Amino acid sequence: MKAEKDQKSENKIKKAAFGNALAKGDIWVKLSTVIMGAGYFARKQFVNGILMTAVQIGFILLVVLFGVPSLSKFDTLGDVQMEQTFDPLTLQSTMNDYDNSFMILLTSVITLFFIFVFILIWIWNIKLVYQLQLKKERGEHINTFREDMRALVNDRFHITLLALPTVGVVLMNIIPILVLIAVAFTNYDQKHMPPSSLFTWVGFDNFKNLFTNSITISFGYAFRKILGWTLLWAVLATVTTFIGGILLAKLINNATTKWPAFWRTLFVIAIAVPQFVTLLLVRNFFANAGIVNTICSNIGVTGFLQNIGLVNPRLTYIPFLTDPNWAKAMIILINIWVGVPYQMLIATGVLMNIPTDQIESARLDGANKFQIFCKITMPYVLFIQGPALITDFVKNINNFNVIYLLTQDVFITSDQLLANSNAKEVDLLVTWLFRLTNEYYNYKMASVIGIIVFIICAVFTLLSFSRMIAGGREEEYR
Amino acid sequence: MKKKLLSLALAGTMVAGMLTGCGNKNTPSQPSQPQQSSAPEVSSQTPEVSNDDIIANLIANTNGTVQLTVWASEEDQEFTLGRIEDFKAQYSDVDFDITLGAKSESKAKDDILVDVEAAPDVFAFADDQIMELVAAGALQEVAATYTFDVKTANVAGSIEAATIDGKLYAYPMTADNGYFMFYDASVFTEDDVKSMDAMIEAAKKANKKIAMNVSDGWYIYSLFKGAGYDLTLNDDGTNSCTWNAAGATDVAQGILDLFATGVFVDMTDADQATAISAGTICACVNGTWRAETAQTAWGENYAATKLPTFTVAGQQKQMSSFSGYKLIGVNPHSKFVGWSMILAEYLTNEETQVARYEARGLGPANLAAAASDAVQNDPAISALAAQAAYATPQRVGNQYWVPAQTLGQILASGNSDGTDLQTLLDNAVDGITAPAQ
Amino acid sequence: MKVKKTISMIGTHLLLTILAVIWLVPILWLVVTAFSAHPGINTWRFFPESYSLNNFYRVLFKPDSVLQYMAWFKNTLIIAIFTCIVSTIFVVMVSYAMSCMRFNGRKGLMSFSLILNMFPGPLLMVAVYFVMKMIGLTNSHVGMIIVYSAGSGLGFLIVKGFMDTIPTSLREAAKIEGASEAAIFTKVVIPLCKPIIVYQIISSFLIPWGDFVLAKLMLNSGISSDFTVAIGLYNMLDKGLIDKNFSAFCAGGLLVSVPIAILFVIMQKCYVAGVTSGAVKG
Repeated sequence: MKAEKDQKSENKIKKAAFGNALAKGDIWVKLSTVIMGAGYFARKQFVNGILMTAVQIGFILLVVLFGVPSLSKFDTLGDVQMEQTFDPLTLQSTMNDYDNSFMILLTSVITLFFIFVFILIWIWNIKLVYQLQLKKERGEHINTFREDMRALVNDRFHITLLALPTVGVVLMNIIPILVLIAVAFTNYDQKHMPPSSLFTWVGFDNFKNLFTNSITISFGYAFRKILGWTLLWAVLATVTTFIGGILLAKLINNATTKWPAFWRTLFVIAIAVPQFVTLLLVRNFFANAGIVNTICSNIGVTGFLQNIGLVNPRLTYIPFLTDPNWAKAMIILINIWVGVPYQMLIATGVLMNIPTDQIESARLDGANKFQIFCKITMPYVLFIQGPALITDFVKNINNFNVIYLLTQDVFITSDQLLANSNAKEVDLLVTWLFRLTNEYYNYKMASVIGIIVFIICAVFTLLSFSRMIAGGREEEYR
Repeated sequence: MKKKLLSLALAGTMVAGMLTGCGNKNTPSQPSQPQQSSAPEVSSQTPEVSNDDIIANLIANTNGTVQLTVWASEEDQEFTLGRIEDFKAQYSDVDFDITLGAKSESKAKDDILVDVEAAPDVFAFADDQIMELVAAGALQEVAATYTFDVKTANVAGSIEAATIDGKLYAYPMTADNGYFMFYDASVFTEDDVKSMDAMIEAAKKANKKIAMNVSDGWYIYSLFKGAGYDLTLNDDGTNSCTWNAAGATDVAQGILDLFATGVFVDMTDADQATAISAGTICACVNGTWRAETAQTAWGENYAATKLPTFTVAGQQKQMSSFSGYKLIGVNPHSKFVGWSMILAEYLTNEETQVARYEARGLGPANLAAAASDAVQNDPAISALAAQAAYATPQRVGNQYWVPAQTLGQILASGNSDGTDLQTLLDNAVDGITAPAQ
Repeated sequence: MKVKKTISMIGTHLLLTILAVIWLVPILWLVVTAFSAHPGINTWRFFPESYSLNNFYRVLFKPDSVLQYMAWFKNTLIIAIFTCIVSTIFVVMVSYAMSCMRFNGRKGLMSFSLILNMFPGPLLMVAVYFVMKMIGLTNSHVGMIIVYSAGSGLGFLIVKGFMDTIPTSLREAAKIEGASEAAIFTKVVIPLCKPIIVYQIISSFLIPWGDFVLAKLMLNSGISSDFTVAIGLYNMLDKGLIDKNFSAFCAGGLLVSVPIAILFVIMQKCYVAGVTSGAVKG
C-alpha cells in the first residue's frame, strides 16, 4: 500500500498539465514538439534523445511509406477495380495495380492506431521533457541512461513485463477487433469481395437490417431466436455441469463408497480423449442412420417413443441431432457428458479442502445431510468457484466447438425464416456468425452480430468482475 | 543469350501465328477447320504450327523454377501425381517445382474464396461453384488453348457448364458429377425401377429402404423440375422459381406421400454409403462417386439406371436432375498463368481422361475418351447417360440452396407442423428468389 | 441400521456403475472401432465383426494423401512446445504486473483486457489471417505459434488469482534486503507459483491439439503434411472420405489421447491446488 502512495505523490509532479508544459517550457521543450529528442540532448541524456528521435523517424517513415497510400483511399476504400489482361501469344498475364478494399481498410486501421499511439507518446514526451527542465532548474539529479534502464527492472518493472504481451494483444486482438468493427459499417459481402470487387462505407444500413423484418430479410427474427437459445444454453450448460460435477464428486467421495480413485479414473477416461474427437464420434454415434438408432429400433425404443408422441411416427429413426427439440436436448446432455467429469475433478479438490469444523458443529446442532449440503457445502463451493462459474458462463456463450461439431452438416433447419438468414435453431450467436463468414462470406452482418455479442458479453463480464477487481478481494488473503 | 536469340527468331513466326491463333480462337464452333479436327488427337504428335511455337517461346522465356501448386481431390492424389510427373517429363527443359494439395472438388471454393491471391495455381472443382469463383475473380479465362481444342474435344454440356457470359473459364475434367439411381437387382426387376411406386412396393417386400437426400437443394430440384416447375437464374444473379405456382402443392404432397410409405427415406450421401454397406437400403439416388461402395456391397446384383418416375396427383412424372461436371481452373493471380494453363490442359487432355477412367472409373468429358467400349459399358456411366435426357445444367443463384434445403427438410420430416402446403412453398420461393443479402 | 447402510451402499455403487457405463460406452465404441477391420462406420452392430491392427498400422506407418499422422503429430508438437513457452512467459509476466505491482491505470487495464477477451474469436479470424498474411506468416509454424500465443497475455486471470494469495510480506522482506523487482519476480514469486505455472504450461500446450478452425484457415495450402492433428483428423470425416477413414480416425484419436490424458490429469491437479490454496488461507 505504501508503495502505491509514494507513486501517487510522484505522479502529481508528472501530471503537470500538457498545456502548462508547452507554455512554460523553454526553447528545448518547444523544440521537442518537432524533434522529439531535443529536450533530452539539452539535458545531456544523449541515448534517450537518440532513441526518441529514432522512434519519431521510424514513425514518420511508417506513416509515409505504409500508411499514406492506404489512408488516402480510406474515404472510399479504393476505386480501382481489378483488371487482368492476358496475352495468348506469350502466355503472360498482367494485373493492373488494383485496390483491395480489405487491405486498404486493414492498413488504414493499423496506421490510425499507430498515429493514436504516437500522439500519446508525443504528449507524454513533452511532459517528460518539461519535467527534466524543471529538475534541472531546481538542480535535482537527472537520471543517466543506465539509471533509466535500472528503473525498468525496479519500480517501472511493469513496463518491461507488459511490453511484449501488449504488442501481441495489439496484433492479435485490438487491430482485428477494430477492423471488424469498421467492417460492420461497410457492404463487405460476397457481392463485394476483394480482390476482384471493391466494398465501401454504408453507414448504419447493416444495423438497420438487423431490426427490419420480412421473409427475405429475417436477420432480426433470427437474431432474437438465436440470442434466446444462446442465453438459455449458456445458463443450462454452466449450471448442469457445475451441479452435476458436485453431485458426482459427493457420490464418489462418499464415506460408504469403495475405491473412490477407481471410480474417478473411470470418469476421467471419458474426458482424456480430445474434445473434438469425442464430439465428432458422438455425432456419428447418434446419427439418423447411426448405431444408437439401429439398437433403439431393434429393441423397440423407437416404436415406444413414437407411441408416446416424442418421435414423429413418420420417421423410422429417432432424430437425435436433426429435430430442433431433440437436438437441443441432446446438445445439453452431450455437454453434460463432456463437462461433468472435469467439474467433478475440480469439485473433488474443492470439497477436500472444506473446513470440517463447520460441518461438525452443524451436525452437532442436528442438521441433516441435505441441510449441511445447502447451508455449508454449496456456499463454500460457490465462494471458491464463483469467478470460475462466471468465466464458464461467458465461455459457454461463445462455446463454438460443442455446437459446431455436433450439428454442422447434420442439422438442417425447418424454419424458412431462419434459413433465409442462414441460421439454424441450434445455432449459438458465435456459430451463426462463423457460418455467415465462412460459408456465406457475409462479413458485414457477421460483424454487426459480433459487435452485439461483444457488448452482451462485456456487460456480463464487467458486472461480475467489477466486484472482484474493484473490491478488496485481491488483498483479502494477504 | 541463346534463349534471347531463339525468341528473336521466333518473333517472325509469332506474327504469322497470331493470325492463325486468333482465327482459331474466334471460330471455335466450325468443326470443318483442319486444326480443330486434329486437335482431339494426342496433342504433341499432331501439333498446330503456331501453338507449338508459342509453347516453344514460353519455354525459351521461362527463367528459373516454375513453382506451381495444384489441388486435386484426396482420392485423385496418386493419379494426379503420376500425371504431373509425366508433364514434367514432357517439358523437361523447364525446371518445375509442383506441389500437390488435397482438397475435394466439392469444397474447393470454400478455401479459395477466403483469399483468392493465396489460392493454388491450378485446381479441380465441381461445376456448381463456377459462378461464385468467376465472381470472385478466381478463374482465369481460357482465352486460347495450346495443346488441343478444349471446346470441341469435350462434350457440349461440359463446355456449357464451364462457360459464363460466353467466356470459357475452365477445363472439363469429368462428366460424371450428376446423379442417377443405383439399385440392388436382387430386389428390383428392370420394370420395377421405372417407377418409384413399383420400387416402393418391391422394397417393402424385401424390408429395405430407398434413399434420396431430399433435404438437399441439389436433389430436391429433381422432383420439382421433373414435375415441370422451373428454377432459372436471372442476369443479376437472383433466381426465378415457379415452385409455388398453381398445382405445385401436388408435388409437395407427392413428396410427402413418398416419405409416408416409410420406405423412401432422406439420407445424406455419407449415411447412404454406410447404409449400402450395412444392407439397409436397396436403392439410392446418388452419383458415380458411390459406384465403388455399391458395387462392393451388391456384387453381381449391382445395377444403375436413370431416375424413376414418381406420382404427382395421380400422374407419373419423370424425375429430372442436375447434370454435373468436374472442371479444372487456373488462378489468374498465379505467377505462372501460362504454365498453369498448359498444365490444366495436360490434366484434362484425352490421354489423361482415358487414364483417369481406367484408374478411378470417373466418366470422361472428353468425347474420344468417352467413346471407348469400356466407358460405354460402365453401368454407372451409362445410367448417367440415360438420365442425361432429363437433366439440366446447373445454373442456380446462391440464394437457392438454403431455402431449398429447408423445404426438403420440412417435407422429409412429414411437415410435422401441418403448415399449409401453399404457404410452405410460398415461403420457400420467397427465400429462393430473394436478392443476395 | 446396518441394513439401511448396506442398502445405501449398494444403491450408491449401482448408481455409480450405471453412470460409469453411460460415460464409457462412447469411449468403448471409439476403442473397438479403432481396432475394427471395417474402414467405415459400423452402424449395424456395436462390436466389429472382425478385429485388426490395420488402422494403427496405417496411422503410424503408412502415410497417404489423406492420412499423414506422424507429420501432423510432429507439426502439432513443434507448434505446441513453442506456444506453451511463449504463452506461459507472457501470462506469468502479465500476472505479476497485475497482481504484485501497483501502477497508474492498472485496474482500467485489467477491465479492458477482460473485455477484449470477449470478442467472439471465430469472427476475428479473417482479420487475423490477413494481418498474418501481411507479415508473410501464413502456412508456417512461426505464424501458428504467433497466432496461438500472441494474445495469451489476456488470459492472466487464474495465475493472477494465485499470485494474489502470496503474502505481501515475502516480497517486502526481499525488497528490504535490496532485491530489485525483477529479482523478486524471478527468485521469490515464480518458485512459489509452481503449481499454477504447470497448469498454465499444460493448458497452453493443449491449445494447438484441439483447435481446428483457426488452423484450417491459416494452413490453407491443402497439403496434408502441413496440417496439425486436429485439422487432419477433422478432414478425415469429410463426407467423401468418412466411409473409408472412420476407423482410422478412431485409431488416430485414440493415439493422440494417451499423451494428452496424462498431461490433463497433471494439469487438473495443479489447477485444484491453485484455486484451493487461497481458500485454505482465507
